[in-house]
Amino acid sequence: MSYFDNKVPPKREDRLNAVIAHQDSICGLARKGKGGKSCLIDDGERGFTQGTICLLLPALAMLNSLPDNVVLLHSALGCGSCTHSQNANVRMGSNARRGKAQDGIWLSTALDETDVISGGEDKLERAIIEADRRYRPASITIVAGCVPGIIGDDIDGVAQRLQSQVSAKLLPVHCEGFKTKIWATAYDAVYHTIGRNLLVEKGVAEYTPQDELEVLREQERLARTVNLMNVSSMGRVDEQELERLLASLGLEVNVFPVFAHPDSFVKATRAALSISTCPTHDDYFLGYLEERFNVPSIIKHMPIGIENTSLWIRDVAKVFGFEEQAERLIAAEEAELREALAEFRPLFQGKKVFVSAGEFRALATARLLQEIGLEVVGIRSFHHDHFAEVEYEKLAREAKTDYVVDIANVQPFEEANLLNRLKPDLFLGHANGNMTAAKLGIPTHVIYNTGLAYIGYRGVYELARRLHRQLSNPAYNRNLAENLRLPYSDAWYEAEPFSYLNTRGRSVNE
Amino acid sequence: MSENFVERARYLCSLGGAAATVTALSGGIPILHSASGCAGNFAWTQNGGSGLQVGGYCGGLTVPSSNIQETEVVFGGEDRLREEIASTLKVMKGGLYVVLTGCVPEVIGDDIFAVLNDFRGEGVPIIGAVTGGFRGDSYWGYDLVLQALVKDYVAKGAAKVKGRVNLWGVVPYMDPFWRGNLEGARHLLELLGLEVNSFFTSADTLAGIREAGSAELNIVLSDLYGQGAAQVFQEKHGIPFVTTSLPIGVSASEAFLRQVGAALSLDPELVQQVIDREKRHYYQILEPLTDCYNDLDLQRYAVVVGDANYAVALTRFLADDLGWLPVLTVVTDRVHESGQPAIATRVERLASGFSTNVVFESDASQVLGHLNRVWPRAAGQKYYNSFSPAFVVGSSLDRELALQLGAPHLSVSFPVANRAVLDRGYTGFRGGLRLAEDVFGQIVANR
Repeated sequence: MSYFDNKVPPKREDRLNAVIAHQDSICGLARKGKGGKSCLIDDGERGFTQGTICLLLPALAMLNSLPDNVVLLHSALGCGSCTHSQNANVRMGSNARRGKAQDGIWLSTALDETDVISGGEDKLERAIIEADRRYRPASITIVAGCVPGIIGDDIDGVAQRLQSQVSAKLLPVHCEGFKTKIWATAYDAVYHTIGRNLLVEKGVAEYTPQDELEVLREQERLARTVNLMNVSSMGRVDEQELERLLASLGLEVNVFPVFAHPDSFVKATRAALSISTCPTHDDYFLGYLEERFNVPSIIKHMPIGIENTSLWIRDVAKVFGFEEQAERLIAAEEAELREALAEFRPLFQGKKVFVSAGEFRALATARLLQEIGLEVVGIRSFHHDHFAEVEYEKLAREAKTDYVVDIANVQPFEEANLLNRLKPDLFLGHANGNMTAAKLGIPTHVIYNTGLAYIGYRGVYELARRLHRQLSNPAYNRNLAENLRLPYSDAWYEAEPFSYLNTRGRSVNE
Repeated sequence: MSENFVERARYLCSLGGAAATVTALSGGIPILHSASGCAGNFAWTQNGGSGLQVGGYCGGLTVPSSNIQETEVVFGGEDRLREEIASTLKVMKGGLYVVLTGCVPEVIGDDIFAVLNDFRGEGVPIIGAVTGGFRGDSYWGYDLVLQALVKDYVAKGAAKVKGRVNLWGVVPYMDPFWRGNLEGARHLLELLGLEVNSFFTSADTLAGIREAGSAELNIVLSDLYGQGAAQVFQEKHGIPFVTTSLPIGVSASEAFLRQVGAALSLDPELVQQVIDREKRHYYQILEPLTDCYNDLDLQRYAVVVGDANYAVALTRFLADDLGWLPVLTVVTDRVHESGQPAIATRVERLASGFSTNVVFESDASQVLGHLNRVWPRAAGQKYYNSFSPAFVVGSSLDRELALQLGAPHLSVSFPVANRAVLDRGYTGFRGGLRLAEDVFGQIVANR
């Protein structure tokens, strides 16, 4: 039985043994990977924690991007207000893809005290019907937050009951924040509903070709059509770089799932190959495409950095027997890029950098930073699972010291302590995650922004160019540090950075 | 307004408003007792809605949070909260710690006061507020924090000091111009020689808030936000309050000064002197705009979309100060029917004699429909009194409406995604000049 037969996808702590609280070093994690044991790290607990995000946020980042979709949050009023910032991405992304900046539409059933007591299913039913009539969308994603998860509302049951009464496809998505501490479960939650509801074309008769030549052409085209799996942290500019590289191998590209029309997902089942750009993002869905529709997939490297981009291309080329072509492409691209990077290297030489983000993004970016001449002195990954083993090995191979790896769902207090000790020259952090380093006076740069290039060979150059710019005048952060203080006690800076790791009286693994 | 959902809600939940409010206090440290995602949700929201302001000394992803999980849902979260508070006191340096609850611990029945009273007993400056998201919106969360301050932080039994007032009603981060607006209103009161505690400006301190019980009057700049706290203040500390609208621009500032002067029985002559001086200054500055105001024909029809504070204050400013024609005023709060008349009457009797149409509507997509009812569309006539030239003052969600109307647009009310706001404010006489600059600036942007 497939996970997709269940209403709710499994959480990643169960499916992948993913962890969020662990202290290690680059060589330590690489060694564990080699021994095949890193996925067996027991998760820790912190006795002091700071607020983070839950799976609802990354899930919404994907769902809000879908054209012609209305997001209906079934939760208390505030859940999903994060969309106010994600909407900037929706506007920019729709402008880049369709030539018009368009706002997303998101709604909330705004469960109140009465609903908490008497249940919210009736309200949800009425909301679905009104949303269908008011907006006439292709789909309505019904997203459950914490409250329905506790009071027991059955969003799948409601969707099933109402489907025949509305014209939009109803897509239940489970984002009850308290149920998983691994946000990456968000990707599974979204893919789960896509897999269950959007991959089979309903009401379309069997395709009966009239013209044999047309059939052959179509088959030929599909045989070199690939699914390029994007992520919501990737802008159109990054997709274009990957499309460019795949096109130069003679491949046709369909991009899923971010900004893909709900009606277009069925095409994903007909491609010759699916290519992941982030193993943290895609394994749940690509496994299903393979198992159910026989679409093979590659899920290994993230095309960030020179080596990783080349490895990513090689893996794809191998599937189609285009190895020679790929080697020529890689050689030409790498040579051109290395020459272009030369002007930035002198400023990077000897500079130390700390990287913080979702695991794969952080590791692949750290590798890129090594390649352009910076020395990585610390990494904070938001979680850990076995997919990243290959990246820890690459980094350990090139590491100058056995630097710290903090597995933490943000937790800037640990970061403040670590940065105060390591005193790096540069910090790259997640959105809303550069504030700590900035106030410590460290030059900072955001590790993803959908308006900027990060991916492929182009991404290496553009990121290097931006870092060069940051390092050329870090006065903004320096001024902050001279005039502001972070809210941590002096005693905290003197304490060990991992003082609160595993101080809780119990463990979730009990 | 839909009864079944809120479209693109222009507010967070009560926890979101409460957390932002504590962050805005000098030395305030919020401690969330909630699921892990709440803090991140607030940070992302402010990022997109608060004019580029996220957090402060302790906001955003820095706030301590118990991050409760399924284990706590089953066994209760009070022990986890106790541990989190104890750790917070070691790690975070603050002047006041405020425990705020989210939905999950409230639904499972955690009693935060049982926990935090132990710490209070040891002399820790810590209070709490029950702010679960299903209780209301972020404006209510602001009110709940003020109520907690008034009940458990403001010193009791203080002797009243003449000329001392408390001021609130502008919600930090929910009003992207909160700093400037509070400072502008505070400045007006200082012109009258008053000593002001306004909780959240850089001139305010926790020590000042502790002494807030010594004020002789509370001034609430809002028909909705902070009204609960005003009641509690009256009950606990015997301080009466006046409710005013947000004093944006010359007409509203004049009325504000008179209202406060009357409430405090100040010498009317003194009040008049202040008003005369400020108006003289205001019109001296406005004077050189006269040619261009006429030459460029800068009078506009307008649609105003905003929260209960702004919808009223902006409409009044446009009609009474600029001589515009704001024909539709959209109040985006979900105001209970019983509370609607108090807001609506504020724009029914405008000094200019111009009257607008007030609707209560939270959903941006429905505003055009309301306008079409107020101002019917052309039906192919040769001569048609069109809704043009027009201007939309609202939030960044109302850009779409402005596009449809072919009108310039200014984001003022939450969400403000497309402006950088630091301490700009629109209250007071000078605030009116700022707002005039901003709306006229939008009109002539391509000149």
